[in-house]
Amino acid sequence: MTSTELVKESAADRAVRFERDALVFTNQLYAAALRYTKNPHDAKDLVQDTYLKAFASFHQFEPGTNLKAWLYRVLTTTFINTYRKDQRRPQISGGEIEDWQLANAASHTSNLGKSAEVEALENLPDSDIKRALLDIPEEFRIAVYLADVEGFSYKEIADIVGVPAGTVMSRLHRGRKQLRERLTEYAKDLGYSVKPAKGSKEETP
Amino acid sequence: MSAYELGACNQILNSFVLLLEGNINAPEINIIDVHLAECTNCSAELAHERTMHSLLQDVLRRTCNETAPIDLHDSIYQQIHAQLTGTFTTEVITEITMTEISIEIDEFGNIEHREVTFEHTEEIQYLEDGSESDKG
Repeated sequence: MTSTELVKESAADRAVRFERDALVFTNQLYAAALRYTKNPHDAKDLVQDTYLKAFASFHQFEPGTNLKAWLYRVLTTTFINTYRKDQRRPQISGGEIEDWQLANAASHTSNLGKSAEVEALENLPDSDIKRALLDIPEEFRIAVYLADVEGFSYKEIADIVGVPAGTVMSRLHRGRKQLRERLTEYAKDLGYSVKPAKGSKEETP
Repeated sequence: MSAYELGACNQILNSFVLLLEGNINAPEINIIDVHLAECTNCSAELAHERTMHSLLQDVLRRTCNETAPIDLHDSIYQQIHAQLTGTFTTEVITEITMTEISIEIDEFGNIEHREVTFEHTEEIQYLEDGSESDKG
């Protein structure tokens, strides 16, 4: 659809197009909203607000560009502006280090440690996976979710969240690391003998 | 690329997240490839990182696949149509009027009489089918 056709599009036609193209993401946005808000009631409200805002500005969406990324941007912005307004922002210790490569000393792990880590992740129940994800700081959780569940690239995430790409890389790196550390802890509780993951020094929020 | 020194395992290990996200330039990839060809520890580590990365994605995608409640689908649909056609009916549900009267008499016998009226109205917007949609 060209922009000339868009100008001619009636409100009713636009609604039909919105319903056809945008509403198919309701389940996905809801699952994301559960990770953002941490509870089903707020998640419902967030998704509803997101769709109303998206519909109100749907005429600004450029057809042919990534609608899913656009909807996630509305979702994320709405969450940050509305649902977090009254809460104290979770702080990430030490600020956000974009030059995270210097801050992170990596080392080799033993083969035994590797296979145990894989085995633990393969055997952990879904409830532990969800718990670990909710347990890491919000900025990390959103970045990891958008990358590893939704498959957005770090550049798309930078656009969705409204932060520089270097910050996204840092959040992905630290978020995945913390997630794996928590999963390793849970696995230990379940009796898997997991050697400490590499660089397992806790980055506490 | 000056940050990468041949043989420096630490640098190579730290570059894995860039490799996994495809955020790395060809010259750096070359340096990493040369190192990996010579260092079995680092190549084993990269293999493990790739395994864990894809395993973590699989596990997260499997667990984070909730379905939105039916009433959410319905209310989104209804709200869009209501916004489109303006089929809201607005009903006033509460109306509070409060009048504050104060009378002051000073020592000269002058009477000052004040009346302040507060009004408060709450509205609920209904869709045509009668379900509640918004408070105003």
